[in-house]
Amino acid sequence: MRQKSGGASFVCVQLLQTLNILFENIRNETSLYYLLSNNHVNSIIVHKFDFSDEDVMGYYILFLKTLSLKLNTHTIHFFYNEHTNDFPLYTEAIKFFNHPESMVRIAVRTISLNVYKVQNPSMLQFIRDKTAAPYFSNLVWFIGKHILELDTCVRTDVDHQSQSRLSNLVAEHLDHLHYLNDILCLDIVDLNAVLTEHLLHKLFVPLYIFSLTPAPPLSMAVVTQNLAAVLNKVVNIDMQEMSNPRVSAVVALYLLSLVFLVITHGPLVHSLAWVILNADHSVFKEGAAEVLNAYIERREVVALGFEQPRESLEEALDTVVGSSSSSLENRSMGGESSSGSSSRDTSQSRSVTEQVEKVNITDEEKEKLRQMEDTSLSGGVDTNRPFLDMVLASLDCTENDYIALLALCLLYALANNKGVSPEWLEQVLSKPAKSSTRYNTVLVERLLHIISLTSQPSCRIRLITLEITLSLLSRFARTSSGDFILTELQQSVLFSARNQAMTILRNFYKSEDIFLDLFENEFTEMSKSPLNVEFLCMDSAILLPPTGTPLTGINFTRRLPCGEVEKARRAIRVFSLLRKICQEYLSEEEVLLPLTNPSNCVQVDNILDLNNSDLIACTVVTKDVTKYRRFLVIDTLQLILVEPDPKRLGWGISKFVGFLQDVEVVGDKDDSRCLHITVHRGGVSNNRTPILSAKFLFDDHIRCMAAKQRLTKGRSKARQKKMYQIAQLLEIPGQMIEPPIYPISGVRTASTSRLPREHRPLFSTANRVPGFAAALRRESMPSGSVSRVQMAPNRSIVGIRNENTQRRRRSSNTSSTSSSNGSSTTRERSPAHRSPRRQESPRNNSPRSRDNSPRVPRPRSEEIPLEDFQHSRNSSPIARGSPSSNTPSRSHTPSRVLCDPISISPRLTSGTSDMNSLAPNGVSVMIAKEAAMNSEETSFIAREEKEKRRGGVETV
Amino acid sequence: MSYAYLFKYIIIGDTGVGKSCLLLQFTDKRFQPVHDLTIGVEFGARMITIDGKQIKLQIWDTAGQEAFRSITRSYYRGAAGALLVYDITRRETFNHLTTWLEDARQHSNSNMVIMLIGNKSDLDSRREVKKEEGEAFAREHGLVFMETSARTAANVEEAFINTAKEIYEKIQEGVFDINNEANGIKIGQQHSPTNPSLPGAGNQGGSTSSGCC
Repeated sequence: MRQKSGGASFVCVQLLQTLNILFENIRNETSLYYLLSNNHVNSIIVHKFDFSDEDVMGYYILFLKTLSLKLNTHTIHFFYNEHTNDFPLYTEAIKFFNHPESMVRIAVRTISLNVYKVQNPSMLQFIRDKTAAPYFSNLVWFIGKHILELDTCVRTDVDHQSQSRLSNLVAEHLDHLHYLNDILCLDIVDLNAVLTEHLLHKLFVPLYIFSLTPAPPLSMAVVTQNLAAVLNKVVNIDMQEMSNPRVSAVVALYLLSLVFLVITHGPLVHSLAWVILNADHSVFKEGAAEVLNAYIERREVVALGFEQPRESLEEALDTVVGSSSSSLENRSMGGESSSGSSSRDTSQSRSVTEQVEKVNITDEEKEKLRQMEDTSLSGGVDTNRPFLDMVLASLDCTENDYIALLALCLLYALANNKGVSPEWLEQVLSKPAKSSTRYNTVLVERLLHIISLTSQPSCRIRLITLEITLSLLSRFARTSSGDFILTELQQSVLFSARNQAMTILRNFYKSEDIFLDLFENEFTEMSKSPLNVEFLCMDSAILLPPTGTPLTGINFTRRLPCGEVEKARRAIRVFSLLRKICQEYLSEEEVLLPLTNPSNCVQVDNILDLNNSDLIACTVVTKDVTKYRRFLVIDTLQLILVEPDPKRLGWGISKFVGFLQDVEVVGDKDDSRCLHITVHRGGVSNNRTPILSAKFLFDDHIRCMAAKQRLTKGRSKARQKKMYQIAQLLEIPGQMIEPPIYPISGVRTASTSRLPREHRPLFSTANRVPGFAAALRRESMPSGSVSRVQMAPNRSIVGIRNENTQRRRRSSNTSSTSSSNGSSTTRERSPAHRSPRRQESPRNNSPRSRDNSPRVPRPRSEEIPLEDFQHSRNSSPIARGSPSSNTPSRSHTPSRVLCDPISISPRLTSGTSDMNSLAPNGVSVMIAKEAAMNSEETSFIAREEKEKRRGGVETV
Repeated sequence: MSYAYLFKYIIIGDTGVGKSCLLLQFTDKRFQPVHDLTIGVEFGARMITIDGKQIKLQIWDTAGQEAFRSITRSYYRGAAGALLVYDITRRETFNHLTTWLEDARQHSNSNMVIMLIGNKSDLDSRREVKKEEGEAFAREHGLVFMETSARTAANVEEAFINTAKEIYEKIQEGVFDINNEANGIKIGQQHSPTNPSLPGAGNQGGSTSSGCC
């Protein structure tokens, strides 16, 4: 075998590949044992292949991996020889732990994990005694070197130039951490003790924690030392400490966050947390030994310091492997990192199970820890906690939130790590800081400071920072029962921040055409992706100074806004976040958001009562030329396509629903009966294809025009309605009864009293108010019960309106008369008189008539048909001022509708006058009538019936 | 054995979909007709030529990754291309694609090229997943799709080579940072840096499908 494999590389490759396939396919245990016996396999493992050849290396490591997957308590004996202390599979594999090829490194990790997984005490003993110290010290050193590289990358890359390199370094580091966590999660007590020790004393404390506090200026130390030399005095300055490698505070905070996010091994994370929260600089000399003692009875003594292991792994392994206990003496001299092994041997007698009990944190031990801390507290010792102070000081965002974000990540990770007991954290933080205020008070105050800074215009704080801050605030500013504890002052800071954010957002209200879409998008985005700090910390971009430009490809929440639209988006988010926390604080429920309540919307396949609804028959032709016969229903918010319910007369099954606000209607130049309707997907999604894009064929051009008008208007009304809702949310003056001091309560009482459906798009803003006359008419219908909130702006703007309202309230049934009288007075004037009048009285300045043509009455005539069918169900004929009863009847004739004296006739008069002057307008009036008739329809109309109706119109 | 680039691949998918057969067919032009035998080894390498350049495809075995989170993570990240394989005669292997894809997307770098492969196309009589379904899935998730047969070698070459072509194009566009081996791409010794990746990396964060503007 040896001779063969010594030959050309392809022979090796072939051999290894065949062996692989062989081992992979052995099912019979006996044959597996046969193959493994006599150490043949072990001799292949130790054979020195030509590892410079990529393929040989690949097949070799794969072979080891295949074997490691075959390991179990039985097969382990073929690989691990107790008598000779020999375990080539493992020792040969870990020699490649730092191989340049990443796939090889991954395979080594897999092999090591597979080996640890086997529950064989004597094998684990071997691993711990002979290989753990060298392997782990080298591993830790390797990780540390990697971190220094990462730090250099961060330091030199202020301009986000080598982002991909940095993100690879971060990802690689995360791989390491996850690997360490996987080892720790196997819960092998002895191994974990060694690993924990190494990680803490060789990496976390000497490199990470050490880097938290700024380096004492070197010059000072030199001066002091020189002075001491002059004075012939010994000054205890640790020059070695000065020369220790350190990483920037940003990187240190980030790395510590990662540790707490990934690793959950109790002893490790608790000790590290203890060091951060309690320790001072002396920890660099003493190490976290004391804390760790509470967890691990038989600690190895690993000298503190981030330094290269004296022996390389290979040397160390060579000494161990194949040597008996005689080599132990050499090894203990070999270096600090391995000095533990000899001391361990003496106590080998202890069984593993015994140790398991020891290491588990008992309540007693917790108590001990607590007492220890309490005594130091009661002893009045001025606790010096430079690391905690540093973390808290980093939360200052006055300039920017670069380091603050990372400090927040650390705090978040600390607070959410399963290995850190929340009670303990609570206790530590409730100790007084230097200024005798408690640490958690300081923390809460810092958090609130960030919040109030964020609400300022043009601040330099990223959204993600605010999000974490808020989540920490609701974590640390609560009692154990979950209630918030904030002082009056803190409370007012929180609420004024919210109000400030609201003020900023008001500036954007309306200033962008797409404000509504932005608002809804941001809202759905926010509810779709809740805060995930673990994902955040996988993003290397947060290691670099915050930037504003989207050209870096950094996620919106993780950078500063760029341009007006993004500023608006940011303002929306800041406000929503602050609004949420204020609601949480007041333990209120959200009632105004989302703007569309999905439960109020019609879904596909709903069966709807369409009696008294406006239905327009049409044929839908999709792109693939499939045709459907459908009835078009236009609700307040939705466009619905229904087909008749075969079971119940007058009912329909919805086959398609889309939001009116996303509808785009285009006429067809060649066919006047045809509309091209596109319903876009609301919100930002990867899928930009519209949910419906089809040609709608109507029976005639009149119906076609009617449909077009209603869709266009439905769209703008749906949008107005939502804008009005946002205005309420923002408490825009003129929309509210009074601005309350803590306004949420005000909004709430007002809004809970009515259903969301009921606020109609009346006065979405102050400048919309001129549309009042039309709106009043709508309100006059009993179906749209008038809420106080809706009327409030009226009172504040024009006095007359109040009168109108009251009048209307007094006589709900006759009110339509009064209001339509009001509108008819304006309409009865000839078109020539209109424009001057419009200037006189703002009431006539209807927002719906964009061009100053005599089309003013047309939209008004649409009022009735636009009533949504659900309302019409409740209150049908009376709502329309129709004299007929509630019972659906087919006997409605067109003539009867036309006879309706109150609402229709004034329109007719104005309509006829218009018809004389302008042809298209005449058409529109006819449509209006038609639509009005449709609204009277109580059941699905057959085609003949329609014909009849149309005939009725024509007679007029 | 010198090459301009080395691309690292992984093959993922349920067990028994023919991952190792695909590989063996590609690297060694062999097929084991024996039933009930998994070759189970998904490591191999082969040279191909794209655009006049020698490119070495190295396929790495991911067996044993399921047990440890760190291993899954690393494998996905270390590869430039992934073949996501299902068996057209077994519906459940198709149904699991979403899980595989989620895993891949979560752990891999965003530039990794994923090709969807419906294997065992020679067994048309036992087909349970229509070709159209595979196409639809691929379209929905932005993957390249192909039906192959490791037995007849139909489309096997194409599957590997097309994936390589796509990676190669991405290198040309400067999307991949080839100076960084973590992407699963290695530059060979003989390669002179005629196509250095864009240092600006401005288009780095964009979606995978976005080409040059």
